[in-house]
Formats: sequence, C-alpha cells, structure tokens
Amino acid sequence: MAIAVSAEQLAKERLTRVEAAINLEEPDRVPIWGFGGEIVAKYAGITEHDMNYDSEKALMAIEKFARDFPFDTLGAGPGGLDGRVFCVAFAEHDDLSPLVTFITGPLHDIYGDKYTRFPGREISENATAQFRGGTFMEPDEYDQLIEDPVGFVAETILPRVCKNLETPRDAMATWVRVGMQLQKSAMQGAKLGEISAKLGYPMLPMGWAYAPLDIIGDFLRGVDKVVLDIHRYPDKVKKATEALKKPIIDYALAYARMGNKYAFIPLHLNEYLSPKLYKEFYWPTLKEVILALYEEGVKSIVFFEGHHEQHLETILDLPRGWGIAYFEKTDVVKAKEVLKDHTCVMGGVPISLIASGTPEKIDEFVKDLLEKVKPGGGFILTAGVGAVPAETPPENITALIEAVEKYGKY
Amino acid sequence: MTEKIFNSIVGMEEENALKFAKEYLNDGGDPQKLLDVCREAMDEVGEKFEKGEYFLSELLLSGEIFKGIMDLTLPLLKESEVETIGKIVLGTVQDDIHDIGKNIFKAFAEAAGFEVIDIGVDVPEEKFVEAVKEHNPDIVGMSCLITAGINPMKRTVEALKEAGLTGAKIIIGGGRVDEEIKEFSGADAWADDAARGVRLCKELLGLGVEG
Repeated sequence: MAIAVSAEQLAKERLTRVEAAINLEEPDRVPIWGFGGEIVAKYAGITEHDMNYDSEKALMAIEKFARDFPFDTLGAGPGGLDGRVFCVAFAEHDDLSPLVTFITGPLHDIYGDKYTRFPGREISENATAQFRGGTFMEPDEYDQLIEDPVGFVAETILPRVCKNLETPRDAMATWVRVGMQLQKSAMQGAKLGEISAKLGYPMLPMGWAYAPLDIIGDFLRGVDKVVLDIHRYPDKVKKATEALKKPIIDYALAYARMGNKYAFIPLHLNEYLSPKLYKEFYWPTLKEVILALYEEGVKSIVFFEGHHEQHLETILDLPRGWGIAYFEKTDVVKAKEVLKDHTCVMGGVPISLIASGTPEKIDEFVKDLLEKVKPGGGFILTAGVGAVPAETPPENITALIEAVEKYGKY
Repeated sequence: MTEKIFNSIVGMEEENALKFAKEYLNDGGDPQKLLDVCREAMDEVGEKFEKGEYFLSELLLSGEIFKGIMDLTLPLLKESEVETIGKIVLGTVQDDIHDIGKNIFKAFAEAAGFEVIDIGVDVPEEKFVEAVKEHNPDIVGMSCLITAGINPMKRTVEALKEAGLTGAKIIIGGGRVDEEIKEFSGADAWADDAARGVRLCKELLGLGVEG
C-alpha cells in the first residue's frame, strides 16, 4: 500500500463499501467478504485442536490470517459449531439465548453432546470440528413439539442429546460450568474485537437466526428423517415449523436488542426440497423470521447452501434491500439477473478454484466473473463456502484479493 | 400389477408401493421380476433427478421405498440369484464424518445392481488400500462433504496408486467436488449427486449407455 491509512479510516472505507453493496448501490469497488476455514490454523502452524481449545493460540492464528489476507470483512473466527437448539431452549431468556448459539470445543466437553465431533476428542487433532446431528426425537413426538416447543426441547431433547444433562443433578453442575465457560468466551470475543479494530476491519455486529425446518432437521429428527417426515406426516411437520417460529424470532430479536444490525442465517434443507415442498414447508416460516428481523432494522445474510436455482424467485417475496443472498453453488450471474435491484448477491468463487487452482487461473476467473456481475452494484464477492481447506496455497487467496482490487473498481 | 408398483415408486407413493409389492408377492409373483421392476423404477427416479424434476427429498424417499420392498423381496431370492453389475468399495474420506451423501449414493448404487462394500466414515488411506486389496472392486467411491475432505481424497488416490492398485476406477462424490477437484485428486470421475454418481459408475464400467 503506497499511502498509509489509519486502521480507523480503513475500517470506515470498508464499511462504506460493504454497506453500499447491501443497499444495492455501486461502491468504490466490489467488496470481498472474508472467509477462513482450516487454513487459518494451518497458516499459523497450530492444530485444529488448538484452534478450538486454546484461546490464546486461536487469537494469534486469527490475527495472523486477518493481517496477511486483507478482505473487506473479518473472515477468520474462533472455532464453534451450530448449537441453535440450545437457543430454542433458552428462547424465554433474552439475556441468555444468544450466548448459547455455538457449541465450542470446551462447551462440547461440558455438555457431552452427541451432535458434534471435535479435534483431539472424537476425531484427530488436525481434523476440523464437525457437526453430525442425529435423531433425537421420534415421529410420534411431533405433538409435544407443537404443543410446547421450548419445554419439549429443554426438558426432553437436551437430556437425550447431552450426556451431562441426563439427570437434573448433573444438569445443575453442567449449566454452572457452561456459564463459567461463556465468561471466558466473552473475554475471547472482546480480544477479537480489539484485533479486528487494530487491523482496520469494520464493525458488522452480527446476530444469528435459523430456518424453523432446519431446527427439526439438524437437531431433532435428522436431515434424512425430516425429509421423509414431510411426505409421511406433512401436517405435523408444518405445524411444528409454525410452533418453532416464535422461539426462533424471540432468539433472533434478542440479538437485535443487543445492538446487532445483521443476522446470519445458514440454510441446510433448501437444496433438498422441490420448489413445491420448499414453498409449503420451508420458506413461509423462514420468510417470517427474515421479515421480523427486517422490521426491527436488522438485515439478514442468508447462506443458501448448495443449489438454490430452483427457489430463486421466492427471494423476490421479500422487501427490496432486505439483506444479502449468499449463494454456494447457485450461478451468481443468473442470480444477479433475477435479483437485480432487489437483493444484494454474494458469492461467486468456487472453493475448488481457491483450493486447487493457480493465481493465474484465479485472476482470469475473477476478471470474467466481475465483468458480468459488477455493473449496477449490489454484489459482494466471496468463496462459495466460508471455509477453505488447510492445504490451500496462501498465494491463491492473495491472488483473489488482488484480482478484486484490479477488476472490481467502479 | 408390476406397472402399478413401478408407478407408485416413481410417483413417491410410499404406502401404495409397499402394499402393491406385498400383494404381488402374496399372490405368488416372481421376486426376481419385482426386483427388476424396482430397479427400473429407481433408474427412472434418477433420471428425473438429473433432469431437475426431482430433488434430494425424492431421492431419499425412493431409497426408503426401495429398501422397504427389498426387505420383503430379498429373503425370497437365493443370494446367487441376485445379479450384480459390479462391486464398489465406498467410504467417506479421512477427517470427514458425514455420511448422508454416501448413504444416498449407496442406496441408489445398490438399486442399480451394484454390490456395495461400505467401509464407513473418516476412513484413512490405509483402510481404503486394505479394503481394495481384500475386495478387489471394480470401482472405489470416495465421499466427502466438507472442504477439508478435498486433500484426503487426493492422498487416497495416491495411496491406491502407490500400492499398485490401479485396477479399479475411482469416483469422488460430495457437495463440494467438481471437475477441478477431480483433476486435482486424480480420480476418474466426479459427481455431486447420487443419480449422476450411479450413472457415471455404470459408464466407467461400460454399462448403461442404453437409450
């Protein structure tokens, strides 16, 4: 960089750039959204186990990665996997429901949960932490879920999922330990905020939300089972998504009350469903979650996992400028055509290109892509998934950032 | 009756498919013929998926229907009578514990007539090598969901080559594999859905190029 810019100034420029894209305007150049993944630990020479269990080492690795790969937003973050079912269980407590969004390594040990596998625990210390889910509810229990979703999840599901919540006497100790661990996480979060500010990353206070049907698929019935349930017990599944809507909105709005202006919503079942099933069982309640946030001034960033071409038009049901549609395998050129001047589109770079391509190929790809999606603004470039493999050549990531600088200017 | 069975499988009518299959067998129907009809129906489901008429939910449901009918049919057939079109050693590669994609592929591969030896998830290279030595398959199928599975795929392909096990074709599968990853890993084919995966397995063996 020729001219030294203060971190504060840099953060402001980046924020303006990202916000312009979200507001469907042309920024000074196309923003590049940060990503991380297994490469963060590898690049700093620490293990995945360290990344999840050693707060100091993890922060060092995040700082190194964030310094060397200057995206427009901070991509690397501490380890943790989705634990949204805990948020449902705590939905009646605004001060707590956001805190249990993730199952971190230490929380995994404290809960003894069966959803996740952590490095140095069930899997090797260099493997990335993984969410496995499972079946923790039987089809004949839908009525209980519909009747009292929070109570059913808190009192029936969690003791099945977590070894250390099986009995009330174990649960007492477990929740105290969870509280103590959350204090430590908050300290790590504060330090991360300092690193972020020091390196000129913008503050994008990020909350989270979830699609009601994904709660059932990921945490209660299992992804494969819920898909069969839709065919076998359609009414019950539909009522259950309706019932889960309130606790999820309560939880998402608890984040908003903490001052978060954005909500990230990763989807899972969208790719599994035909347009008919999507419109009947998935989209209506997800839409209401997004709208409830929108009404409170929170913009959603929805990650449409896998292929979403078949459902693209449904996004037009939302108000213009509702947030960001982040696509994994959906062709962003096509998506931008459909969503032009309505929704900010994000994504575009296949993970395979970053992981196994060359800087020249990446340069060429970005040039070609931006020619198509840059005009008119409302586009943010990033990797198809926010996690690149450990062995990714670092020069590929640099090439990507440089290509956006080169071809992304308006 | 076989037409009704075919149509209810393709039409995702789980109850009807099972009911008709039961009736057919109770009335003295030929289990081998029933197996053939079910395989044709699954083939049709796969085609509809590849055309974009069906989605993963239909693949999962038809796999379940097929399994339900096979539970009734297979005990009536002698093992030697169940014809297979090839053998696949299948596993999710090291450091990846996901199995839904692998299981959908397995269901469709079996429905297509492949014998599938499932060696599980988080399978290290050595275990793939051992399994290939032991079973001498026509095809090795490697699955991964997370991006961290890309390099283990490459390492496994290399390990098989180093062990001199070059007889079997290698197909990689999973949500995040593509042509680029195929080239990178050195595999022979790739698929990001089960229908395409099974079609390519047949093609790799020079089968199923009809129509």
